[in-house]
Amino acid sequence: MSNLISLNQIKRHYDVGGELVKALDGIDVSIKPNEYISIMGPSGSGKSTLMNIIGCLDTPTDGTYQFEGELVHEMDDDQLASIRNRKIGFVFQTFNLLPRSTALRNVEVPLIYSNTPKAERLEIARSSLISVGLGDRLDHKPNELSGGQRQRVAIARALVNTPSIILADEPTGNLDSKSGIEIMKILYDLYTKGNTIILVTHEKEIAKHANRIITIFDGKIKEDRANENMIKAL
Amino acid sequence: MFSLFFESVRIAVDSILSNKIRSFLTGLSIIIGILTVTLMGTLISGLDRGFEKSMDFLGKDVLSISRWEWFGGQDWWEVRNRPRIRLEYVDKIKNRSKYAEAVAPVMQRGASLSRGDLGARSQIFGTTTEYLKTTNYGVETGRFFTNGEDRSGARVALLGYDVAENLFPNEDPIGKNFKIDGIRFRVLGVMEKQGKFLGLFSFDTQVIIPSGATQRLFSRRGFLRISVKIPDDKIEESKDEIYGIMRQIRGLKPTEKDDFAVNQTVAFENIYNSIKFAIGGVGIFITILSLVVGGIGIMNIMFVSVKERTKEIGVRKAIGATKNMILTQFLMEATMICVIGGLIGLSFAYILSLVINQFFPSTMPIWLAITSISLSIFVGITAGLIPSYKAAGLDPIDALRYE
Repeated sequence: MSNLISLNQIKRHYDVGGELVKALDGIDVSIKPNEYISIMGPSGSGKSTLMNIIGCLDTPTDGTYQFEGELVHEMDDDQLASIRNRKIGFVFQTFNLLPRSTALRNVEVPLIYSNTPKAERLEIARSSLISVGLGDRLDHKPNELSGGQRQRVAIARALVNTPSIILADEPTGNLDSKSGIEIMKILYDLYTKGNTIILVTHEKEIAKHANRIITIFDGKIKEDRANENMIKAL
Repeated sequence: MFSLFFESVRIAVDSILSNKIRSFLTGLSIIIGILTVTLMGTLISGLDRGFEKSMDFLGKDVLSISRWEWFGGQDWWEVRNRPRIRLEYVDKIKNRSKYAEAVAPVMQRGASLSRGDLGARSQIFGTTTEYLKTTNYGVETGRFFTNGEDRSGARVALLGYDVAENLFPNEDPIGKNFKIDGIRFRVLGVMEKQGKFLGLFSFDTQVIIPSGATQRLFSRRGFLRISVKIPDDKIEESKDEIYGIMRQIRGLKPTEKDDFAVNQTVAFENIYNSIKFAIGGVGIFITILSLVVGGIGIMNIMFVSVKERTKEIGVRKAIGATKNMILTQFLMEATMICVIGGLIGLSFAYILSLVINQFFPSTMPIWLAITSISLSIFVGITAGLIPSYKAAGLDPIDALRYE
């Protein structure tokens, strides 16, 4: 199967006050469709930077990044925005919903940016919320929802443009364990339906939900292995 | 693109509504600016209309020969010692001028009118039959006096519209009698309604009587001017000719200065224009000032808004907003504050113009409303540009991390 994502000798260096910081220093990773990958590593290891680069929020200082055959490292800001909009679904640790908008409006936003007609937009947003079990919470604002519900809204938002990958950055980090299990269930469910999921976490237990675990340390890949004992959150 | 536009409007409205007081205070100077500019414009355009209406019946093609200039800066002593304008000049001008189409003396004096218990103060115009040709208004009902009535000194009169209403309420005045300074006159007709001149005084309160009767019954004192109707395509030539004839009549040597004045309504226009520009100038100054201050206020508040919503900008960028989309969103917000402020200012101005119209002619033209709203949009875009660029240029990662 051809690669969904290939990173080749990716480097990301920062100049912080005259000192060169090598956040990523030569990363090679290929990701195939319908993989469930955990990116592990302690804080400062470079896993966030890697996630930002995979998520097209950041561009590498060196190396090549192909996303479905397109050369991401050569793209300008607007092209990157378009990739983020259509191909990547973000799920953040802090949910990052728009506080003054209802759940439905939050989920609608990516569709607005992709120029989907209004009627279709509402329909997709509604069914996406129903699919994460929030059909009865469409008109609630984030502050009227629990943490778990908020994260589910964020997942619904990530799914509306049927992205190629779902990029979840510590999705359970701000949740109680019960809500955390719910979210992991949804992610597993998405995986079984054929989605590609990249989970960034520093918790081993959470990382074990994936079928492949990549460990980053000091800007380099320390380990990249298949996870035989994948936890199937059912 | 459309849905994006509406989305921007929606975000802007949400944002403004969630900061009502802040938005109102920010928009206040825009409100004041737009209020000033529309109110000034309304006043000036009202003045213009009133002025044009008033100018119409004075006639641009009428020269008025009198002792002094209407709006002259002449030395008072010099003017005071000028000889009076005499009635004989009328015939002399008529005989010598080849341009003059009509020449009418106007002997003007104040008088009190009475009829039974009713009374009024009025200006009496003693003139000849040619008077009608020197004005652009005519007889509404009845008829003007004839040359015969003029020569014979008949005590007949034409009433201004208001005079007729005052002395003959709810009745036809024609053929009825009234008194001017105690002397009985018969009403021949009523003049057309003029309205107020610049809203200040009106020719509707005048009474026109034959010059014959004027000379016989009232003292010669009073103010005499001679109205000369000239062809409107030969204004300058006619004016030169009239000056020449008057100098001849007065026997002035080439070195001597004119000891009379030939006035034209243009003089009114000049003085009017200078008043208009003064009002307009002050108005524009206040407007620009408050719009600049307002614009700075909006720029300031937009910077705050961008700062406050850095995280939101990050999220929007992460889920696919391009730079232009973020730019549009914030520009829309700045513009919206201005447009809402502009609309509030405009409504206030409209209400005020209705109130002012009770005392002074004022009408708000459509173009003014459109201009003022365009002006608010312009201020909004200008003031919003730098903060919006700042928002659009934010790095998504930094913005997402911002707390």
